[in-house]
Amino acid sequence: MRDQPQQPEGAIAGTGMGGAMDLGASEAVTLERTPGGPAGTGPAGRPRSLWSDAWRDLRRNPVFLLSALVILFLVFISLWPSAIASGSPLTCDLAKAQDGAAPGAPFGYDGQGCNVYTRTVYGARASVTVGLCATLGVALLGSVLGGLAGYFGGVWDSVLSRVTDIFFAIPVVLGGLVLLSVVTSNTVWPVVGFMVLLGWPQISRIARGAVITAKQNDYVQAARALGASDSRILLRHIAPNAVAPVIVVATIALGTYIALEATLSYLGVGLKPPSVSWGIDISAASPYIRNAPHALLWPAGALALTVLAFIMLGDAVRDALDPKLR
Amino acid sequence: MRGSRHVRGAAGALAMALAATGCGVIVGTSGGANGGAVLSSSWGDPQNPLEPANTNEVQGGKVLDMIFRGLKKYDPRTGRAQNWLARSIETEDSRNYTVRIKRGWTFSNGEKVTARSFVNAWNYGASLRNNQKNAYFFGYIDGYDRVHPDSGRQSAPALSGLKVVDDHTFTVRLNQKFSGFPDTLGYAAFAPLPRVFFTDHAAWVKKPVGNGPYTVESYTRGSQMYLRKWDGYPGTDKARNDGVTLMVYTDSNTAYTDLLAGNLDLVDDIPAAQLKNVEGDLGDRYINTPAGIIQTLAFPYYDKAWNRPGSAKVRTGLSMAINRRQITEMIFRGTRTPATDWTSPVLGVDGGFKAGLCGRACDYDPARAKQLIKEGGGIPGGQVKITYNADSGSHRQWVDAVCNSVNNALGNDRACVGNPVGTFADFRKQIGQHTMTGPFRAGWQMDYPLIQNFLQPLYYTGASSNDGKWSDREFDRLVDRANARTDTAEAVAGFQEAEKVVRDQMAAVPLWYQNGNAGYSDRLSHVALNPFSVPVYNEIKVG
Repeated sequence: MRDQPQQPEGAIAGTGMGGAMDLGASEAVTLERTPGGPAGTGPAGRPRSLWSDAWRDLRRNPVFLLSALVILFLVFISLWPSAIASGSPLTCDLAKAQDGAAPGAPFGYDGQGCNVYTRTVYGARASVTVGLCATLGVALLGSVLGGLAGYFGGVWDSVLSRVTDIFFAIPVVLGGLVLLSVVTSNTVWPVVGFMVLLGWPQISRIARGAVITAKQNDYVQAARALGASDSRILLRHIAPNAVAPVIVVATIALGTYIALEATLSYLGVGLKPPSVSWGIDISAASPYIRNAPHALLWPAGALALTVLAFIMLGDAVRDALDPKLR
Repeated sequence: MRGSRHVRGAAGALAMALAATGCGVIVGTSGGANGGAVLSSSWGDPQNPLEPANTNEVQGGKVLDMIFRGLKKYDPRTGRAQNWLARSIETEDSRNYTVRIKRGWTFSNGEKVTARSFVNAWNYGASLRNNQKNAYFFGYIDGYDRVHPDSGRQSAPALSGLKVVDDHTFTVRLNQKFSGFPDTLGYAAFAPLPRVFFTDHAAWVKKPVGNGPYTVESYTRGSQMYLRKWDGYPGTDKARNDGVTLMVYTDSNTAYTDLLAGNLDLVDDIPAAQLKNVEGDLGDRYINTPAGIIQTLAFPYYDKAWNRPGSAKVRTGLSMAINRRQITEMIFRGTRTPATDWTSPVLGVDGGFKAGLCGRACDYDPARAKQLIKEGGGIPGGQVKITYNADSGSHRQWVDAVCNSVNNALGNDRACVGNPVGTFADFRKQIGQHTMTGPFRAGWQMDYPLIQNFLQPLYYTGASSNDGKWSDREFDRLVDRANARTDTAEAVAGFQEAEKVVRDQMAAVPLWYQNGNAGYSDRLSHVALNPFSVPVYNEIKVG
């Protein structure tokens, strides 16, 4: 396999272009003539990399700008919820149960008389934390395992492929109900751990495919011919060229992890009170939908907006990184 | 790939939802099509096979109430025990009873109900070998300690206190004086059983044969049970409809929605979240009547942290931190009444209910609550975790409200949290294994309308439903003394003395008396709930 470089098909990321980015590498010379590069290098000046192209595209993409703005705002209120919401999300006055909007409580009160606005603002932290941590964990674990399997191939590759098949076969919600119902911890970590456990095979497959694609490129062969070690080839030549699809899929998955956290919390196995989470609030408000729909709609709206923002961001990033779509 | 998979998943879910609702509609109409005056009613699968001595939960009890009649029957309005199959139950010393049975009663398979039908059934229920949940009901009968020893093997085949005199007479000898004994005999565990129960047990369990106004026609677990009127029923409380279809629901919200949609005739558990709408939705087809149910918070006395010298003060402080009035109004919309003793108003003042017996300990007084908890050494572990089952009874809503009330009183956002357990079965299992680390929900629905039933099974040392393993010598002594009183009024007063020990130690925090709630369709009339909050099915008229 290694001896027969061939033009890969169906890869998400750019093929030849990516090689141009590691300008410091001695093999870069061989890459000046890249067969599949759609956007050629300029006649004068440095060749533009995939990443600078992508960034230039993104900056002009209103979808990206809008979702990035929403996400920045979410991150801000996750860090400093008290900046825009006063009071504690856990202080509830039953006398105000199911009341509508009032001064200091623009979203009204829920069935327990808690301030829906305060709880919605504070709920962002759980979602953002779980989403980011789970994505980070999944991306790291998945790309390391998948990358190594793809690069070295052989029996470990086969074993890993079957293991991912097994994990793919586990239904997410059922797995969550079974595994998380035995956990008594009241932190986000069991939920994050569960998502990493069930999420890594997806990234692992993407990473494996990307690495197999990348390692067949001429410059990898050249590096090998020049005596570069496996770790150097992996880190300097393959990783930068295989990471794009992982980033795309992970960004889109981030949104689904947030939705999954809310789902699990809704079912009572994710975060548990007194943690504040949109899923918990949606679950608590659902029986009151006839009388106090606001208690359900605001956290549900916040959740939908957040998931949408991350998925749109992922979409924009994919568009920017996938040269075939240009 | 991702996209298409998601869409397929959504389509699958939609198809399932359609199938589920479609199924509901079909079942609903078939319930009505079973032949004229058949009504459908919400229900849940019973926990155990419908053996009378093995059914200690409400759903199975509902069916037993329809297919069995015992020596006594509790009046559906007053709850008073009246002779039914019994012609007389006589005693001179509150210990030796002679039971005479009316003639003319038969089981639905034609077999005569005799003294033997009762004695054999009671021996079966008491026997350790049969492992019946209600065995302890026979614990007063002489010889129970040999038939059902606390440990070791059964050393006698039958209760020595039961003797058949003739076909229609038998005697009962108790191991202690118990003047209220005859009034307990209306409980389903004391029902008579036909011979086929013993000779072909498997067939009986599949299709129970009893002597009540209805017979079981068919049962599909997880779906429905159809009970048909027994035309040959010899009693005066004949069914006034042709039958009842009990439909299994796992969510009371769904049942309520089905009632509004016309797919269901009777719902006897109105979800708390709908109580605000129920009068607008149903008008006068909504029932809200007192029932013999009290909700309390029990404590794990096997956990040292809750059984220290100052613990009584902490428990009393928690009791005073709960704003019962507000919770019953805002969460339960008046379908619960703040509790001020440990019994139930349905007992009546003569029966032992005493409003205000709890005194200041049940009043909402945040300042005093805070002070008492501080004096008692604070909350064990710094946080109260109230364990409850999340699958029924709108428990989540009130536990959250109780916790908020405690938190507000103590000025600490995290002083109290709810700890939901997914299902009732799992919840009961955890309680049975004594793994609770804090207070837990304890609802008590009376088995028979006696004050004894609200105290002894719950707080007597080693009693069957003493889930928290509370033990107090003074309480036990007072209960023993009260049981020995032959005069009813004296016995009641004796139990109230014992109840004061429960109060002073705050063995359990009384929360509220629960009403029975039901709603029904405009096809029905004469719908009522008995004091056990079970619909009186035989009186319902259809159309």
